[in-house]
Amino acid sequence: MSSQALPETFRLRAGNFNLLVLRLLDPRPDAVLPALGDQFRRAPGFLRFAPIVIGLADLEAAPEEVDFRGLVAGLRALEIVPVGTTGGSPQMRQAAIAAGLPPLRAVGGRDSETEVAAPGAAPADPAAAAPMPAPAPPPVAAGPQFQGSGRNAMLVSEPVRSGQRIYAEGADLIVTATVNPGAEVIADGNIHVYGALRGRAIAGAQNDSEARIFAMNFDPELIAIAGYYAVREGLGGAPIGRPVQVRLEGEEMRFGPLG
Amino acid sequence: MAQVIVVTSGKGGVGKTTTSAAFATGLAQSGKKTVVIDFDVGLRNLDLIMGVERRVVFDIVNVIQGEARLNQALIRDKRVDTLSILPASQTRDKDALTKEGVSEIIEELSKDHDYIVCDSPAGIEKGALLALYFADQAVVVTNPEVSSVRDSDRILGVLQSKSKRAEEKRDKVKEHLLVTRYDPNRVERGEMLKLEDIREILAIPLLGVIPENESVLRASNTGMPVILDAESVAGQAYKDAVGRFMGQELPHRFLEPDRKPGLLRRLFGGRAA
Repeated sequence: MSSQALPETFRLRAGNFNLLVLRLLDPRPDAVLPALGDQFRRAPGFLRFAPIVIGLADLEAAPEEVDFRGLVAGLRALEIVPVGTTGGSPQMRQAAIAAGLPPLRAVGGRDSETEVAAPGAAPADPAAAAPMPAPAPPPVAAGPQFQGSGRNAMLVSEPVRSGQRIYAEGADLIVTATVNPGAEVIADGNIHVYGALRGRAIAGAQNDSEARIFAMNFDPELIAIAGYYAVREGLGGAPIGRPVQVRLEGEEMRFGPLG
Repeated sequence: MAQVIVVTSGKGGVGKTTTSAAFATGLAQSGKKTVVIDFDVGLRNLDLIMGVERRVVFDIVNVIQGEARLNQALIRDKRVDTLSILPASQTRDKDALTKEGVSEIIEELSKDHDYIVCDSPAGIEKGALLALYFADQAVVVTNPEVSSVRDSDRILGVLQSKSKRAEEKRDKVKEHLLVTRYDPNRVERGEMLKLEDIREILAIPLLGVIPENESVLRASNTGMPVILDAESVAGQAYKDAVGRFMGQELPHRFLEPDRKPGLLRRLFGGRAA
């Protein structure tokens, strides 16, 4: 037996990403690509090597009419990297898979896209077949992002009692009452507890490490974000009984005051 | 239609049967026709506390299995004539209870009673679930102790999800908190949970606080519901709780610690130290 441990070569973790969606309105690459190239030439670098998801929901065409291979090649030539598709009929998705574009599933169901516009781009001419919905305020590339997560929220206004378990799938969870000892609240997004948090709170359940836990009276049995957890015993330094927000910084849990 | 009241707690030994006996007796004393049912099939304590153990012929399981008619199994109380008891079987287990059987019994009792008090067994298994299934109101019995509070919390969640009212999405079961075995002196010494802490966690209206009192054990052992002992503080506290249940506004009593031992300790204990 070798006493030397093998060096770790990888870690498999799920992650959530914000991606741009290119909703196709025209199936012909030679109609889409010049318009796309034209729009983004005005904002050089904006989409450079940006991964992009091709939205098929608005496309009124038969699968055989769409030249996915030509589209992929054309996008790559524009230094845009298509990584998959969203929406569309099963046949359409099948045709895309054949061109190396796997279907992606949006977190929180459909229509979780937020509108974006290129920075500095002129208000789009509605007559032009612009593939990017425009205009919309939050610039994606620059500065801090104030984009919504596109998630819904689930509201619970009764106390969550011992033995009860509430899961806000693909959503934030807001509890306006208390979460009692022995209860468990889970959300794919953030968890807000406006009463006392005395049970377990598991945020970012689908490994969203950006998720946070907020509690007006922080007194939990266990908290977890994106799979990293701490039990009460390990919460020595946390401000118990106070308004607290918990977030993940790397692999460390950080406890900050609220407000 | 009768009101169905379940006396429940999740945890055992907190005073469900004592409360069922006292509560049913109190309701009956006010002139309401009341029946109290022992759902603790296999253990059977209610008849002892009610002092009717020597008069049991048939029980709830006999009725469910069609071996006896309901009014053959009902035992009329000799002290309060508007009160009767439906005992549990000691020789069977809780699987002998069926939802259909219990439903028929409740329906039949509903015709000529005002209140049906269901004394739940401990736990959250079949017997307890059946005892609370038909409830319109629930008296949740809790001791000032962490595990009891947590189990009460659990049973409140069960009431919200597994009762007939919850299943039919009608108005939810009306919940009442009854804190029993409360000893203000031990609360003051930090050995028991404070009433405010219990109320904060369970977040349901407080029906009453029954002080820890030797009269309860004496009453149990003599087969007399403690509410009939009008001299005892526990009896008076139960009387208040029943009054509040029927709509009276009464201040909560017996919540303050006894000052005398503290004074004596200060006078004598302090000098010795």
